Amino acid sequence: MKGLFGNEKVSAALVLPGLLVIVFSLVVPIGFSAYYSLTDWAGFGKFHSVGFQNYRQILTTDAVFWRSLMNAFILMAVTIFIQNPVAFAVAAVLSHITEKLSRIFRTVFFVPAVLSLVVVAKLWVGIFNPTYGILNKVLIAVGLKSIAVSWLSNPHTALGAVIWIIIWQGFGWALLFYYTGLMTVPREIEEATRVDGAGWLQAYLRVIIPFMFPVISAVLVIDVISCLKQMEMIFLSTEGGPGMLTQFVSVYLYQKAFSAGQYGYGNALSVLFVIVAVGITLVVQRLLRRNDDVQ
Amino acid sequence: MKRFAVVLLALCLAGALWAQDKVTLKMGDPHPDRVNGWGAVIEQINAEFKAANPGVDIVTESYPDQPYQQKIKIYATAKQLPDVFKYWSFSTLLKPLVDGGFVTALNKADFAQYGYVPGSLESNVWDGKLYGIPVSADFWVVYYNKQLFKDAGVSVPTTVEDLEALAPKFKAKGIIPMVTDGKDAWPLSITYDVLCERVNGDFSRQQAALDRKAKFTDPDFVEGARQYQKFIQSGLFQEDLTVSDYGASRNLFGQGKAAMYVMGPWEMGLATDSNFSDSFRANVDVFKFPVLKNGKGRTDDLEAWFGGNYVISSTSKNQNLDLKYLQYYAKRFPALAWEKGAAFPAQKVEPRATDTPVAKTLLKILADAKKTSGTTTIDRSTPQFKEDHQNFIRELSSGLITPEQFCAKLDASAQTASEQK
Repeated sequence: MKGLFGNEKVSAALVLPGLLVIVFSLVVPIGFSAYYSLTDWAGFGKFHSVGFQNYRQILTTDAVFWRSLMNAFILMAVTIFIQNPVAFAVAAVLSHITEKLSRIFRTVFFVPAVLSLVVVAKLWVGIFNPTYGILNKVLIAVGLKSIAVSWLSNPHTALGAVIWIIIWQGFGWALLFYYTGLMTVPREIEEATRVDGAGWLQAYLRVIIPFMFPVISAVLVIDVISCLKQMEMIFLSTEGGPGMLTQFVSVYLYQKAFSAGQYGYGNALSVLFVIVAVGITLVVQRLLRRNDDVQ
Repeated sequence: MKRFAVVLLALCLAGALWAQDKVTLKMGDPHPDRVNGWGAVIEQINAEFKAANPGVDIVTESYPDQPYQQKIKIYATAKQLPDVFKYWSFSTLLKPLVDGGFVTALNKADFAQYGYVPGSLESNVWDGKLYGIPVSADFWVVYYNKQLFKDAGVSVPTTVEDLEALAPKFKAKGIIPMVTDGKDAWPLSITYDVLCERVNGDFSRQQAALDRKAKFTDPDFVEGARQYQKFIQSGLFQEDLTVSDYGASRNLFGQGKAAMYVMGPWEMGLATDSNFSDSFRANVDVFKFPVLKNGKGRTDDLEAWFGGNYVISSTSKNQNLDLKYLQYYAKRFPALAWEKGAAFPAQKVEPRATDTPVAKTLLKILADAKKTSGTTTIDRSTPQFKEDHQNFIRELSSGLITPEQFCAKLDASAQTASEQK
């Protein structure tokens, strides 16, 4: 058996089907995308080569592209610096209470994560509705009519409202990862730290969090990718509006290609998007790995 | 055994010959519901056509608007378009198919006897050739709930100023004065078109601006944008206008939570929609879009266009049969569509005693029209211009830009579009 797998031809034959799937489902489409990004293709019919004009336009004059990227960074910041710490803190609390109580809370927190995106989007669009939404009804009932606005269409609140929906749904996943990670920390380590005189904060900062760093790294990388490719929730709630204030790159390139009929431009956006996403992911991974080594 | 083999062979041959005789027409349309409305009308026409033409089979692919448009683009690229299909006659949609040679030019005389409304066939003419038959007449009107008007003690407004003055009266009663689909933005763009005409009394100005013989920054367009912003800021519309989609706004009106609904005649079915209360259905009616007190536009200047139409694929192998089908469609559609309340036909229809008040008023509004706009501005230029127009009108609606900025952005987009042509 060992000899069989030692044979290079056999190994190659076994790898080939998977390799072909990756080539035809990933490499070839990206290649086509890169090719069409250099054209003025409208989706069908004749097209002409325009060189790097699409890229030049995106990078130099397309304010919506930069706005979309900035929104992705804002979402990323909120996810990393607010959602993750809160999810970690809640997971830590859940890991110290009784199993029965913990299970109830875990279920409650995880419910949004198992709901369909469409259901979650429609639910929050309904809650935020200024006419019949429950949020404004509650605000008015407690005398806060002045802040009862049209949350998803008000330029000052739209991005915050959309980010809230995304964070709300993603919270369960972060919690699940951290809770599972915390369960793998041997109790003896925590107890030994406490015996050595460390308070709970010190125990977490100096022992438990470093121990959990691989889990935290994985969650952060997943979060970064998910923030960058955010599309469905935006599409189902605001479609990038009001104006382009809640626009994200995935929605924008979809609109450019499929609504505006600028497939060439849309493909250029998608190529740049892939470059940005891969670049940021690599940087984050590198930073986390370096941190891991230091730990 | 030998005898069995011979019989089997004979059956196979007969089957093959029969299959050869059978012609299958491939069709496409954006009406997936084949039991109600437009889809049901098409099914009936297809059934009648098949009965009258033995040996013809019809296979239809139907998807909602957006997926359908994508499908047609993909089929065009693959040169596999359906033989006969419904498509929008706009420069943003049909024009690229015409330019690419994907659709067959028709002879106007072949459709002369089917009572088309004047100007309707012309909306499908590109470079002097007819590329499809129009099926529906669309125009911009205001639906209203008579009971809610009565409860608020107000009457149907004839001026925009009077209409805006209704906002506080309905709001005092806890009723949203007016709704429309702001999320998709095209109703907002059409409303801007109407208000511009109410300012300058001239439907041709938009085309002039697109042809660069005028500018969207000209005073009449800026005044139109000011009037539009005033219209929105008067509080007439639902607060979440720009995120309120078609279904949500329609439901607000149908459930009696809104007094008015700005939309086209394809919503005449509101008066018979069993999803809404008897009281609503008995009280829904429609009025003409009001005029500005100091504007040049008149009440009977109608923003009207002819959207959906049927075309024949140039790659179809059954051109004669396709044409025969289109003629049969043109003959049967108006009566069937009117009978089922599926659409407002682009052809003359005979009013019936059983018509709803909405249907009767819509017929009168079209009959009263002294002049019509033709295709709306967003569908007269490139797909990018349409996208820009809709984005800018959303920004104007949200107060993110001023009327002057809106017009400047629109003019820049029109300039880009004209350079691309």
